[in-house]
Amino acid sequence: MRRREDPELLSGKGRYIGDLTRPGMLHAAFLRSPLPHARIVSIDAQQARSMPGVHAVLTADDLPPGLGAQPCTHLFQGQRETPFYALTGDRVRYAGEPVALVVAESPYLAEDARDAVVVEWDALPSVGDVEAAIADDAPLLYDDWPDNVVAVFEQEMGDVDRAFEEADVVVTERLRIQRHFACSLETRGVLAEWDPMLDELTLWTSSQILHIARDLLSDVLGMPEHRIRVRVPRMGGGFGAKFHFYPEEVAVALAARATARPVRWVEDRLESFLATVHAREQVIEATMAATEDGRITAVKADILGDLGAALHTVGYGPIWLTSVMITNVYEVPNARVRARAVATNKTPLGSYRGWGQPQANFIVERLVDSMARALDIDVNELRRRNFVPPDHFPYKSLHHVFDSGRYADCLDRALGMLAERNWPQRVEDMRAEGRHVGIGVAFYVENSALGPSRILNAGGVEQGGYDISRVRVEPGGEVTLYTGLCEMGQGVKNALAQVLADELGVHPDQIAVVDGDSHICPYTGYGTGASRGASVGGASVMKAAGIVREKIARIAAHMLEADTSDLEMEDGDIFVRGSRDRVVTMAEVGRAAYIRAIDLPEDEEPGLEAVAAFDPPQMAWPYGTNIAIVEVDVGTGKVEFLDYLYVHDIGTVINPMLVDGQIHGGVAQGIGTALYEELQYDLDGQPLFATFMEYVLPTAAEIPRIAIEHQVTPSPLIPGGMKGVGEAGVIGAPAAVVSAIEDALRAYDVRISATPVTPATLLDLLDEAATRSHGAAT
Amino acid sequence: MSVPVAQDARTVNLTVNGEARTATVEPRLLLADLLREVLGLRGTHLGCEHGVCGACTILLDGEPVRSCLVLAVQADGRAVMTVEGLADDDALHPLQEAFREHHALQCGFCTPGFLLTALYLIEADPAIDERDERELREALSGNLCRCTGYQNIVDAVRDGAVRLRTTKERA
Amino acid sequence: MKPPQFAYLAPTTVDEVLGAMREAPDDTSILAGGQSLMPMLNMRMASPRVVVDLNGVAELAEIDDGGERVRLGAMVRQRTIETDPRIARRLPLLADATTHIAHVPIRTRGTVGGSLAHADPSAELPAAICALGGRLHLRGPDGDRVVAAHEFFLGPLTTAIEPGELLVGIEVEPPPAGSGWAFLEVARTHGAFALAGVAAVVHIGSDGTIDHMALAMCGVGGAPYMAAWLAEMAIGERPDEALFDHVAQRLHEEIAPYDDGHATAEYRRRVAVVLTQRALPAAAARSNGGGSS
Repeated sequence: MRRREDPELLSGKGRYIGDLTRPGMLHAAFLRSPLPHARIVSIDAQQARSMPGVHAVLTADDLPPGLGAQPCTHLFQGQRETPFYALTGDRVRYAGEPVALVVAESPYLAEDARDAVVVEWDALPSVGDVEAAIADDAPLLYDDWPDNVVAVFEQEMGDVDRAFEEADVVVTERLRIQRHFACSLETRGVLAEWDPMLDELTLWTSSQILHIARDLLSDVLGMPEHRIRVRVPRMGGGFGAKFHFYPEEVAVALAARATARPVRWVEDRLESFLATVHAREQVIEATMAATEDGRITAVKADILGDLGAALHTVGYGPIWLTSVMITNVYEVPNARVRARAVATNKTPLGSYRGWGQPQANFIVERLVDSMARALDIDVNELRRRNFVPPDHFPYKSLHHVFDSGRYADCLDRALGMLAERNWPQRVEDMRAEGRHVGIGVAFYVENSALGPSRILNAGGVEQGGYDISRVRVEPGGEVTLYTGLCEMGQGVKNALAQVLADELGVHPDQIAVVDGDSHICPYTGYGTGASRGASVGGASVMKAAGIVREKIARIAAHMLEADTSDLEMEDGDIFVRGSRDRVVTMAEVGRAAYIRAIDLPEDEEPGLEAVAAFDPPQMAWPYGTNIAIVEVDVGTGKVEFLDYLYVHDIGTVINPMLVDGQIHGGVAQGIGTALYEELQYDLDGQPLFATFMEYVLPTAAEIPRIAIEHQVTPSPLIPGGMKGVGEAGVIGAPAAVVSAIEDALRAYDVRISATPVTPATLLDLLDEAATRSHGAAT
Repeated sequence: MSVPVAQDARTVNLTVNGEARTATVEPRLLLADLLREVLGLRGTHLGCEHGVCGACTILLDGEPVRSCLVLAVQADGRAVMTVEGLADDDALHPLQEAFREHHALQCGFCTPGFLLTALYLIEADPAIDERDERELREALSGNLCRCTGYQNIVDAVRDGAVRLRTTKERA
Repeated sequence: MKPPQFAYLAPTTVDEVLGAMREAPDDTSILAGGQSLMPMLNMRMASPRVVVDLNGVAELAEIDDGGERVRLGAMVRQRTIETDPRIARRLPLLADATTHIAHVPIRTRGTVGGSLAHADPSAELPAAICALGGRLHLRGPDGDRVVAAHEFFLGPLTTAIEPGELLVGIEVEPPPAGSGWAFLEVARTHGAFALAGVAAVVHIGSDGTIDHMALAMCGVGGAPYMAAWLAEMAIGERPDEALFDHVAQRLHEEIAPYDDGHATAEYRRRVAVVLTQRALPAAAARSNGGGSS
C-alpha cells in the first residue's frame, strides 16, 4: 500500500520546521562554548546589540527569574541532580553548551552578531574519557560531589558467585562502544510565537514528544499548559534524538517574548554534532559461565556509561537498559549487573534508536561467540541450547517479563535462508581462492510497546506509557483520526489509518489523520519512540474505533430496521449480512448522527466520535536474527558486504512495505555503528569532529541489500497482535557484522572488542593477532 | 581596467523551473537560500551546508550541484531546476512515481536531492538500470539518507530509468 | 552556517582577475569551483574581505589538445576531465583519478585548478598531476612563470603560488604511447577523502623491460609524495613482483604520513605499500594495450 504523504514529499511540498515562516519572523543564532569546561568571567554583547538588523542578544542574565532547570523525566533511584538551564551563565561543562542567543532579521545577520559577542572564559581542568573520569584525581564536573559518578544501578538474580565457582568454562570480554548519535538528515529546529495580548505561546518544534514538550515547557516557564500550544510539522527523521526536550526550545520561546516577534532557529549541522544528544558510549567488562555441555549458567557485567555533562530528558535510561537486557534471549538463571553513569565534559547522552539495547546485544552476542569458541561447539547450537523455549513464556528475565517467543524457529529460518543461498559452500570456495570471507550471526530481542504506565512510573519514569486516540466519523461519512504520536518518516499515520480502515470497513483514503498539535490531538504518554506507535497507538485506535463502530451499527440497525448483530461493514457501506441491497452508507449514518437526529434511535445521543486510551498490560518482545556475510581486504582493512539476511517476528505485520523500510534503515544505522560513525573527543573533552568529513555516515555504496523474512506470531498481550518494529533493525547489526569480520579473519584469530571497526583498527588487530600467535608459537 | 567593488546588493536574473525570476541579493547569499527564502521554493532542503549530504542538490544548467556551495549571484543568467519543477501539474514525474512505488522515501528530507541527482544520472546514462548494483550505488553515493538504508532508492532509480525510457518511447 | 560579508568581484578576463586581486592583496579568496572555499565560508573558517570569482573567465575553461602537450585551463571542471573523450584518450590516468574525487554533484562544479591550488594533502588531482609530470602555469603582476608539479606542492594547503599570482592552467605531456596507468585509493566511504592513494604510470618497451615509470601518492604526507628515485630503480627492469615489492618497500621507508581521526600514520604507510603493490602490476598490465581501460 502506497503512503499517503508521498506525493507531497516527492514534489517538495513537505513543510519542515525550517520551511515555516510567520509574519515578522526573526532568526536566532546561538553562541556556544568552545571549551569543554570553563567559568564564564564575562559576556560583552554591546557591539553585537548595536549591529544592523539585530533585535536582541539574550544571555543567562536576561532569563526570567524563576525559570526552571531543564527537566529530567527519568528519575531512577539514587541518581544525582545535574541542573542546567536554557542558557548557561556561570560555568559550561561541555563544548557546545549554549551561553547566548542572538536574534536578528536574517540568519546571516544573526551569525554576524553572534561572532561579535565577546566572552571571557576561565578554562577549568576537564575530562573527556569515562575511565579517566572515575579516577581518583579526575577533575570534578560538580564541585559538591565526591566523584563524577551520577548514578549506580545494580541488579542481581540467582546465585551468581556459586554459578561461576561451579562453571566448567568462563569467558570474559572487555568491550568498548563508541559515542555516536542519531544524526537525522534534518537537524532540529524551533519556531516560537508569543501572543502578547493573550500571553500565549505557540511553539513549533521538530520533536517526537508533542505533549511532553508542552508539559515541560509549562514546568520550566511556570505557565499553565493551556496557554502553550506545541506543534510538530513534517519531521526529517528523529531516531530518538528528538525524543528530548532541549534548552533551545526554551531559549527561542523566551526570545520570542523578549522581541515580541516570531523567532525561528534551525540548528546548523556544525552545532548539531554538539548540541543534539549523543548516544551509546560505554565501556563494559562482561563475563559468562557455562557448563561443558553448553548450558549458560551465569552472566555478569560491569558497565561504565559515559553520560556526558548532565542528565538530559531521559536521564541515564539507555545505560540502565543495557544492564537489564544483559541475558538477551537466553534462559540464564544467574545474572548480576552494575551500571554506572559517569559525568564527563562532553555533550549530554540521550536517546538513539534502540536506547541501550544495541550495546546489550553486542555484549551478550560477543560473549556467546567467545563461549562457542571456548567450548568448541557451533555458536548457533549454543544459542539453541540456551534459548528460552516457547513453553516458558511469560518468562521472567533479569528485570522484565518477556511475553512470547519462538526463537529457535526464527534462527532456523534465517539459517535456512543462508543455506538456500548456498553461502556455507560459497564461503568455503572463496576461502579456497584465498579470499577472507566470513559469516556472522546475532540474535536479538527488543523491548517494544512501551509501556505499562504503572511499571514505568514505579521505575521512576515521570511519563505515562499509554496512548489515546480520537476517532470521529464526520457528517459526510469521512473519518478523522486524531493521534498524539508524531510522524517522523516512519509512516505511523499510514499504519494507524490502515488499522482504523479495517475496523470501520472504510477505505484508508477516506481517513484523514491529524497529528502534531497539542491543542487538538489526544495525549500520548511516552511520545513517539520505543517502538510503540503501531502497537500501543494501533491498539488505542482499535479501541476507539470499536466504540464508534458499535454506535454506527446501532444507528444503521435503526435505519435498516435490522438487528446490530446482523450487520456488516465494508467499503463504507453498512448492510444486512447476505443482502447488500439493505444498505446505508457511512455518509447517511454521519448525516443522522449530526444533522438528521430524527433518523437516530430514540435513546441515542448525537455525534459520532470516541476517545479511548490503551495502556499495555506488559511490554512486548519482538526478536530476530541478523546474518552478515562480509569480505575483508587484509591489505587495506576495508570490509565489504556480500549479503545480509534478516528474519524477525514482530507479531502482526500491518504493512510489510513500511516494516521492511524500518528494518533497512535500522540495519544501515547498525552498520554505521559497526564500521563508520564516531564522535571522537580528546582526553580533555575537546571534540575532534566538526563536520561530516569527520563524522562518517555510510552511503549507498557501503550498505548492502538486506533480505528480509517475517515470522508472524501475534503478541498475546496487544489487541491486534502488533509488537512494534521501529528499533528492531539497529539492535543486532553491530554484533552480527563484527562476528562476520572475525569469522572472515579466522585464520588470523583476530578478536574484536570495540566499535567502530575502521580499516586502521582492523590492520592493528591483525598485527596484534600475529604478535599473539607468534608469541604462542615461541 | 576597472572592476566594480560591490559590497551591496545586486540583481540576479535566472530561470527557475522554466520561469524567469529576478531577485536582488547580497553577494554572500547562498543559491539555496535564494531558492528557499527569496523565491519560496522550499523543496530544496539544507542538510549540512558544507556539500556532503546532498539534500540541497539542484540542477544548474542541467547539471547537479550543491546549492549550498553556490552563491546566488553565480546563478545569474543560468537555468535552475528544483524538485518543484519535476511534476507536471498534478501528475508526478515518472521518477517520483518510481520512488513512491518502491517506498524509496521515509522522512522525505533527502528525497529532493536524490530525485535531481538520479534524474541527471539517468539522462547521462539512460541504460543506468542495466548497470550492476555496485556502479549504481556508487553513482548515488553523493546523497546521504538516514532512513531507508538506500535499498529502495536503488530500486526506485532503476525502475525510474525504465519508466523514463518507456515514457520517451511513447512520446 | 552562512558566509560572512565580503566584496564580490566577477571579472571576465585573466587580466581583470589580476587587477581585482590587487584590491586587497592579503585578504582575497579566489573562488573557482567553490567546493572547498564555499564550505569554509559557510563555516566562517574563511572570512576574506574580497572574493574574486573565476567562473566568468571563459579563457580559463578551455582544453587545448592540439599539440604534443594537453593544456587544461584552471577552470576546467572535474566532471569535464572525467567525461571528455580527449582526456580519456590522452590522459586516461587523469580521467581515472578524477572519478575518485567526491561525487558527481561535486565534480560538476569542482575544477582542476581549484583542486591543485587548494593542495589538500589527500586530494587526488595533485598526485595524478605529479605522476604525469605536469607543469603549472602561473600569471602574476610580473608576468608568467611555469612551475613543475613536483615543485608546486609545498605542504598542506601550501603551494608555490605567490601573493597576487593566479594559477591559470596546467600543461601535461601524455606519457609514451601505450603506457599503462592505475589510480587506486582507500577511503572510509565511497567518495570520501582518500586515506591514501596512488597514481602510477608504467610503459614497457619492446624488449619487455620498463622504459617509463612514474608514481605519486596522496594522503601520505603534507604534499603529494613523488618517488624521484623510481626511474633509477625501475628503468630497464622487468615488470615483475620482485621489482614492485622493492619499490613498495622503498616507499615505506621514504614517506612521512600523518595521523588523523580516520587513520594513523602507520596505517597510511602500510596501505601505501599495499596500494603500490596493486597499482604497479595493474598499470603494467595495461601497458601496450594490455587489458582494457
